[in-house]
Amino acid sequence: MAKHSIMVIDDEKIVGDMAKLSFEQDGYEVETFLNGEAALERLQEKRFDVVVTDMKMKGMDGLEVLRTVKKLYPGVKVIMITAFANLDVAIEALRDDVHDFFPKPVKIKELKASVKRALGEE
Amino acid sequence: MKIEHKIYLSNAVNILLIVLIGSFALQNLNEILTKFRFTVIAEGLNANFLEMRLAEKNYFLYGDDNALSNIKARINQTRETMLQVRPDIIRAVGAEKYTVLQEQFHAYAQLVDLISKAQYRDAMVQQKLREAGQNLKTFSENITALESDRIGAIIVRSKNILLYSFWAVVLFAFLFSNLIVRNISQSLRKVVNLTRAISTGNYRKIEDKPSSDEIGAVISAINSMAEELQKREKEIVQSKRLASIGVLVAGVAHELNNPLNNISMLAQTYAEVYDSLSTEDRIGFMERVDEETERLRVTIHNLLDYAKPKEQHLARATTNQVIQKILALVQNMLDVSNIKIKLALAGDLPDIYIDEHQIQQVLVNMVTNAIQAMDKGGELQIGTRYLPDEDEIEIEIGDKGKGIAPEFLDHIFDPFFTTKGDSGTGLGLWVSYGIIKNHQGNIRVKSQIGIGTTFIITLPSCKKLKRCTDGEA
Repeated sequence: MAKHSIMVIDDEKIVGDMAKLSFEQDGYEVETFLNGEAALERLQEKRFDVVVTDMKMKGMDGLEVLRTVKKLYPGVKVIMITAFANLDVAIEALRDDVHDFFPKPVKIKELKASVKRALGEE
Repeated sequence: MKIEHKIYLSNAVNILLIVLIGSFALQNLNEILTKFRFTVIAEGLNANFLEMRLAEKNYFLYGDDNALSNIKARINQTRETMLQVRPDIIRAVGAEKYTVLQEQFHAYAQLVDLISKAQYRDAMVQQKLREAGQNLKTFSENITALESDRIGAIIVRSKNILLYSFWAVVLFAFLFSNLIVRNISQSLRKVVNLTRAISTGNYRKIEDKPSSDEIGAVISAINSMAEELQKREKEIVQSKRLASIGVLVAGVAHELNNPLNNISMLAQTYAEVYDSLSTEDRIGFMERVDEETERLRVTIHNLLDYAKPKEQHLARATTNQVIQKILALVQNMLDVSNIKIKLALAGDLPDIYIDEHQIQQVLVNMVTNAIQAMDKGGELQIGTRYLPDEDEIEIEIGDKGKGIAPEFLDHIFDPFFTTKGDSGTGLGLWVSYGIIKNHQGNIRVKSQIGIGTTFIITLPSCKKLKRCTDGEA
């Protein structure tokens, strides 16, 4: 079976780095991006199963990433993480069919469980 | 007293005056009528008396018996008339004079009787009759003349009273309406001043105890409206303050949650992949934890530093000198960034009363922002001028940089708002705003994308603050 691929977008480099290390340990294929524009460009070339994106970023923010992904690739699941814990943003993300929503600091175990659910492995 | 009641009262007083004057005039007219009736009667009697005296003369001169019977006929006629008009005469001249008249008439009639019975031709009796006739005629003519005079006097009196009371009524009406009008217009002026004051945000009460009239009711209503407005305004200010605290707290949460999340993820991953890590990798993990901790420390330090209420050291200062000082500080930065400076400093500006260190901090912040907006070099404009109407000094700092998008303009003074990415804390303008507000000044911004941004700072002159002569406060 081909490896599931995960895209992680966060302007905090450590988030991408740690997610990559941890998810690769579990046998996922992971690519990380520091902004939404670069990530969406990559999506045109390669199909990912799950996109994990930060909410507040310079340039394109997480909601825009979510909307674009859902519009262009409706099957791709999007999980959102944010340091800006705000109910309004969460509600807006839910309306746009976000798969899950995590406030920072994120528990990697919970994030992994959410990814598994997204892939229908649980 | 209500205005309505005042007007009713004034009308009542006027009506009462008119009734008084009217009844007085009526009484006078009645009196004149009585006197006039009397004079008509008296004229008739006088004519009779004259006829009697003529007949008496004829009788005595010619011994004409017809003349004597003529006198008798006249006497009878007069007696009848006097009985008929007795009440009129008494009403006009009083019972006393009527009695005198009657007595004289009787005396005359008796003498005529005596003469006609005794056929007296005696000179003595003739003389008596003449005297009696003369007396009767004189008395009758006298009271007639007297009553005529009285009629004249009553008419003059009535005329005067009508004239005076007319002026009295006119004067009263004028004064009273004037009083009411002045009262109303004074009160209305108070209302106008009050509403004008309220519209400028000055919620003073017009007076402690408004009058009990309609204007007083309006003033009470406005007073309670002002009170309510003031309460609402306080609530709005309070909720705005809470909102800005909310913005601050949300910003703080974001600034703290990111490094916290990084540390947490480093720790979780470290534990998970520990076995596969080399010693170097492990040291790398710990160094990154340390870096993130340092980042947290700096954020908290900045926040505490900005949040700490600093003691102000206020002193009189000259705006243009302050600007020259900060230009010396930033000159190197300007040269490196290839930015030319264009100064338009007005001469003879009034001095200001400031904490120079704080104002320098604001100006350096503005200039730094301008330099960062012109990453390809350009021109920085700094101008000063005096606003005589407000007695304030205006400082303009304009760049020809990228400009700020309209949707950001409302937020640039919010804490943690930045368009500079990692190079900005988002606290500079927020702090600048606080400093300028603490100096009772104002700060605003104009910006157009691609054209540039101008910050305009106004500060009150030391004269306006009444601090020109003070030294350090």
